[in-house]
Amino acid sequence: MLEIANLCVSYGRVRALDGVDLTIRGAGALHGIIGPNGAGKSTLLDAVTGRRPPSGGAVRYRGQDITRKSVRWRRRHGMARSFQRTSIFTDLTVREQLTLVARHLRDDRLDDVIEVMNLGEWLGEKAGRIAYGVQRRVDVALALIGRPELLLMDEPGAGLSAHETLSLFQHLRDLVRERGMAAVVVEHDVDAVFACCDVVSVLDLGRHLATGSPAAIRADSRVIAAYLGSAA
Amino acid sequence: MSNGTATRVAARNGALLPGASTRVPVAVVLAALLFGLGAFAPVHLASEFVLRIASGGLLLGMLALSVAFLMCQAGLVALGAASVYGGVGYLFAIAMSEWDLSPTSALLFAFVTVVLYSVALGALIVRTNPLAFMMLTLAAGEMINHGVMLEALRDYTSGADGLVVNFKGAILGMTAADLANATQFWPIAWSAAWLLGLAAYAVRRSRFGAILRAIRDNEERMRFSGFDTYLPRLVAFVFVNAIAAICGLLHVLNSGFVSPESLGLGVSTNALVAALIGGVAGSTGPIAGGVLFAFAQDQFGARGFTQLLTGVAMVVFIVALPRGVVGSLVEAARRNLLPKRGAR
Repeated sequence: MLEIANLCVSYGRVRALDGVDLTIRGAGALHGIIGPNGAGKSTLLDAVTGRRPPSGGAVRYRGQDITRKSVRWRRRHGMARSFQRTSIFTDLTVREQLTLVARHLRDDRLDDVIEVMNLGEWLGEKAGRIAYGVQRRVDVALALIGRPELLLMDEPGAGLSAHETLSLFQHLRDLVRERGMAAVVVEHDVDAVFACCDVVSVLDLGRHLATGSPAAIRADSRVIAAYLGSAA
Repeated sequence: MSNGTATRVAARNGALLPGASTRVPVAVVLAALLFGLGAFAPVHLASEFVLRIASGGLLLGMLALSVAFLMCQAGLVALGAASVYGGVGYLFAIAMSEWDLSPTSALLFAFVTVVLYSVALGALIVRTNPLAFMMLTLAAGEMINHGVMLEALRDYTSGADGLVVNFKGAILGMTAADLANATQFWPIAWSAAWLLGLAAYAVRRSRFGAILRAIRDNEERMRFSGFDTYLPRLVAFVFVNAIAAICGLLHVLNSGFVSPESLGLGVSTNALVAALIGGVAGSTGPIAGGVLFAFAQDQFGARGFTQLLTGVAMVVFIVALPRGVVGSLVEAARRNLLPKRGAR
């Protein structure tokens, strides 16, 4: 589905990503990416989705090199994302923004998204006036419209309690399986990642440290040394 | 979604409010009555002097509408509205006097040229951030303002003296003398204000209006939702300049004169202040703001207080009444007349 080859991103002299190689395999799997602060997790998502141009390496999506493709192209070809800081249209009602995007992406199954994200009660409300947790659901709902094949989420649990994050992850896992799409989740909450993700990758200091099942990652001595410590 | 939830959602959206089905026809009848009354009653009730000020106010209000629409829908403040408003008048005058075009052909030529200018200018500047956009519209406007004063163009523009526009024949059955007559011009200005106001309202309520607001709100999310964020802003820029061009053509037809003053920054800032006075959010606010500004200018201008009035109005309306006169009245009416949420 997605191949990341020798991807590099620099901020001036600082190398935020330093030759990352990673493969996101087929549909129906939730792939978690974890790592300490400054590991390059969000930068990786930004580079993959076209928000930040990489300084080197390549991103291949369904076998095609998309490194220089526009954000719009990626979205129209089935790659969607949500953001670490909630990114919605605060001045539009929830219904207006979901309908706007659904019509643009010719998705006639908007009701499914509304039901899955449990937004029915909030449709008539301006998005800027609803609770933060609901805003995060709107953010994910905007990414789910158009039935994306690959969904990338940057800390969907940011600002939510541990219980809410776990619940959201369980929801996402079910959704990914039910819809047969691939999803990548960058997250700080390792408990939620280990509990719900099928595959976990670890980044450290801009480099790819390890990829494997949650159990394998928990037991990996390099990951324990660099990130998990006694939490494992 | 459960039935209870669906009912709550529909009620929140107004679908189940009592009388909702009859609200639109009543509003249409009231609007039609207001339109008819406004078009003809002042002609019989008001003096020619008052009609002239009110017509000028409507023209300023339409220009304010163009500024307010772009500000509110696209988050962009344009300071070059006068260059379109005055520029279209110059083109109209030059097309008739230099190229012997008929008045109707000259009107079309001037309008199309200004629209093409807007496309070219917009293509260059709508990508920029709001501050840069504001400064670039100001720069483009000032260049045109100084361009008409160039000695090399004096044969066409008459420099600081301006151009008298005295066309032969008729436009839509009206001669130059008819259009200069305040009682005959008022229904035209009133109708144009309604048409442009309704056009702006229709665009705001359309899907295109929602796209513009969404781009203003969160451009990055729009791009990540697969939208082109450049073209809608360009179309909006051309749309507001078309409004300003219609307004400028009406001005030159009525006054029979166009001068560098009509291209100046003063006209652009007056339009901006009029929009702030009336309220930028809808169509009624900027147009009403233009009329209020014109009468206030008449009251205080003769005593030399225009600049003071402009400054005070800007401070008062930005700080104390950010919704403007119309916006504040609508908000007060909503608070007092509509049933409070949760009230039984």
